[in-house]
Amino acid sequence: MKGLILKDLYNIGHNARTMLLVLVVLGVCLAPTTGLTGYQTTCALMCAMMVVTTFSFDDMAGWMSYALVLPVSRREIVRAKYLVLAIFCTVGDLLGGAAGALVMVLLGQPLPPLGEMAALLLFGWALAYLTGSASIPLLLRFGAEKARIILVGAFMIPVMLILAVGGILSAAGVTLTDELAVALFCASPLVALAAGAALGRIACAILNKKEY
Amino acid sequence: MDTILTVSGLTKHYPGFTLDHVSFSVPGGSIMGLIGENGAGKSTTIKALLGLVRPDEGSAAFWGQDLAAAPRLKEDLGVVFDGGSFYETLTPAQVGSILRHAYSQWDDGLYRSYLERFAVPAQKEIKGLSKGMKAKLSIAAALSHRPRLLILDEATSGLDPVMRDDILDVFLDFVQDEEHSILMSSHISADLEKVADYITFIHAGRVLFTRAKDELRYQWGVLRCGAALFGQLKPQEMLAWRREDYQWDVLVPDKEQARRAHPGAVVDDATIDEIMLLYVKGECVQ
Repeated sequence: MKGLILKDLYNIGHNARTMLLVLVVLGVCLAPTTGLTGYQTTCALMCAMMVVTTFSFDDMAGWMSYALVLPVSRREIVRAKYLVLAIFCTVGDLLGGAAGALVMVLLGQPLPPLGEMAALLLFGWALAYLTGSASIPLLLRFGAEKARIILVGAFMIPVMLILAVGGILSAAGVTLTDELAVALFCASPLVALAAGAALGRIACAILNKKEY
Repeated sequence: MDTILTVSGLTKHYPGFTLDHVSFSVPGGSIMGLIGENGAGKSTTIKALLGLVRPDEGSAAFWGQDLAAAPRLKEDLGVVFDGGSFYETLTPAQVGSILRHAYSQWDDGLYRSYLERFAVPAQKEIKGLSKGMKAKLSIAAALSHRPRLLILDEATSGLDPVMRDDILDVFLDFVQDEEHSILMSSHISADLEKVADYITFIHAGRVLFTRAKDELRYQWGVLRCGAALFGQLKPQEMLAWRREDYQWDVLVPDKEQARRAHPGAVVDDATIDEIMLLYVKGECVQ
């Protein structure tokens, strides 16, 4: 499985400079207006979407046929993609957090308290991971090119989930205090991981049926 | 001689094409050449036996075992697909480090030695390599975990004749003992004439024959005759025939017998290309 992860990291390494440039431009444009949260979450989401690029590379090279004759199982191939996604999310989230904080400091704007920043980082990671997790089954089912439009749906899933959680809390009469929001943000990676595990099972089922 | 690969009745239906009960076996220490025109079903056969497509019927057994039931057997397989399988921004060195983590038997020294032998630069991106270089990289990658069975789908296409000759020598070295075999699909019949021990001919999704190459080379022949002699030929003397402008070309299973029976006719040795043409463009005799 390490070989599969390495392959994606090597492949995407080529795009890293471009991605870094995009994030810097976004930093200049977004951070002053949306603040740290908006910029850092955008960075995490953009890096999560690099998983789509890895599928494009795989499709172009005919990699999946080759991967299936390597001594790795189809489940390991799916797991490797989810691990790569987790790496992308982590890098994007931390990079966004650090760069966003730097921009805020340079602009003389106050930074949120450290605990709040950590909670926002966790929430950004969870959102990115959830989005990427939903895209992997679609990419396996339709291929990178066909899945691009459907992937808009993958972006909508986390948003709808967050709205649903908000609706449930509101219906239950729970008022979202700062403390409760921080607690929810801190718990969000667990929800994302659980959802990722479920979506991963779907991805495995798709790959098991798929012919190359 | 143990059988390394047994393919039994592989069948796969697609709209407009059916891979129809394909069966053959690859004995240890041998090279089996899979020939057939484009779209005949060679690649589909290879994909079906490797489990990349799910056959509707039939099975493939590697060392007597189903690959799906014994995935560890993949350690003993080296596979090269037509066109390579690595994205173009990778370097051969990176390909090595990816595969080092995939195969428990991966041999870095052996990989480097193949890259040197094939003159493939380790640090150059794949997109900067010629088609032949890419083919050599794929072959080096397939050999460097010391597999026992190589499966090659048009692996030598794109190589110049000199390099093809070198690669074919590598394949011949590979099958020197009874433990190793190669299944090799190619439309370059000269390659198969040089190295193959057996030939399986697939046409329109069906196996027309599996024969020892020496049988094709030393026994089969092409009898060239006029209409009068063609009219006298018995069906059992013919495998296939084709009418040219002024003569009939007839594939015969025993050229010496044909020469004796028809001293006035020209009976040439049959090349794999001629055999293919006669079967595909001519009429088969059942």
